Amino acid sequence: MRVAAIFVCVCLSACSSLAGKEYAVYDPGEEINRSTYNVTDRLDRAAIAPVAQGYQTITPDWLERGVINVFANVRTIGSAINGFLQAKPESGFTDLSRILVNSTIGVGGFFDVATRMDLRYQQEDFGQTLAVWGWHRSRYVYVPFLGPSTWRDLPSTIVRSAMPRLIVGPSYHWGLSGLDAVATRADLLTASEVRDATAIDPYAFTRDAYFQRRKFQIYDGAPPLDDFFDEFDEFEEDDALDF
Amino acid sequence: MRHVILAVWLMALSVCGYAQTSMPSDEMQSEARQRIDEFHAALMQAMRTPDYAARAKALQPVIEASFDITRIAAVSLGRTWRDLTETQQTEFVSLLSELVVATYADRFDGYSGQQFVTDEVRAVRTGDVVRTRLLREAEADVTLDYFLRAGRVFNVVADGVSDLSLRRADYSSIIKTEGFAALLTHIQRKIDEAREAD
Repeated sequence: MRVAAIFVCVCLSACSSLAGKEYAVYDPGEEINRSTYNVTDRLDRAAIAPVAQGYQTITPDWLERGVINVFANVRTIGSAINGFLQAKPESGFTDLSRILVNSTIGVGGFFDVATRMDLRYQQEDFGQTLAVWGWHRSRYVYVPFLGPSTWRDLPSTIVRSAMPRLIVGPSYHWGLSGLDAVATRADLLTASEVRDATAIDPYAFTRDAYFQRRKFQIYDGAPPLDDFFDEFDEFEEDDALDF
Repeated sequence: MRHVILAVWLMALSVCGYAQTSMPSDEMQSEARQRIDEFHAALMQAMRTPDYAARAKALQPVIEASFDITRIAAVSLGRTWRDLTETQQTEFVSLLSELVVATYADRFDGYSGQQFVTDEVRAVRTGDVVRTRLLREAEADVTLDYFLRAGRVFNVVADGVSDLSLRRADYSSIIKTEGFAALLTHIQRKIDEAREAD
């Protein structure tokens, strides 16, 4: 009973501040983060991205998509658990249904049959669970080789990358870890192309996009539309615009 | 117990402002929707145009009519905007307009079954939001929310990521470290890169 009461209080306290700017960029360790970003970016441009581009060139689209689907299917287990932890049973059961359908009819997750049956991937993780439980504002951290995160999201960033090994156990072949990493990077090539095409300061661009994306996920794809008017309205209130 | 928790959870959500905002008048709704539908039609046409210069030429008038580039420029620069002379403001707006056209012409460079769908139009605070989706054949849909004020777009939010906010973060970082003149050089370089990428 006490656990349930605490849970409800946490949910209410989480909601009480949802109207604020609690998911705004917070980066007091920018100097260190910029250093790790620069090192990772150099390595990425020199080795990881070219390997991913090569993989994408020689791999047919259907096979590339299938590989991504297999690893995503394994990771859906984490999403299902976090759906339940956020008191969203429908989300948890949708993910469990996805695993069941894709692992069987979808041949071990290679084909994403579940999406065609309108069982959509819920994209939950432990970082979002902590946010729903009340940990809104968290310091930004750029994790070498894993990318943008916050202290709140760090456990899920690490666990997510290691999840197939954690589930399969010691028999999980290192070659599969390599394939997972290359396929994941290949899947992000379009995003990094967009960044390169538009960003003047890629570090600031990546950090801002990360915080916004996380907010979008925490709100299950429906953040308050009002928030997007904030920057615009605040600027107009300063009478800086004279149209 | 689970039902009680769910009931409290749902009550809390409704208290926290999840209720839908009011709808705009039919006329405003129709105008905002039409503006975005025209823009999407121009993008669809651009995707079927192989030549970069032709795409940019076709998109320019539509973008200039649909987007309030002056407002985007002012909000992107924040406090720096008010320190600029009128000539500098005009120069920046012109450069930003070129960048927006170059970016769309560069990114929408091939058609492979994409489709735009307009879901709804909402009145929110000081403007309208046109909620749309880009449907792609082999990849997940992208939600595209267009924020309009006085009938023109000042922000595009793709899957929760605000273009205006990214510009502000990006530009303020460069102004802070290198100054406004350097920002103009960087933007010009981005425009050139988009042209050369084709």
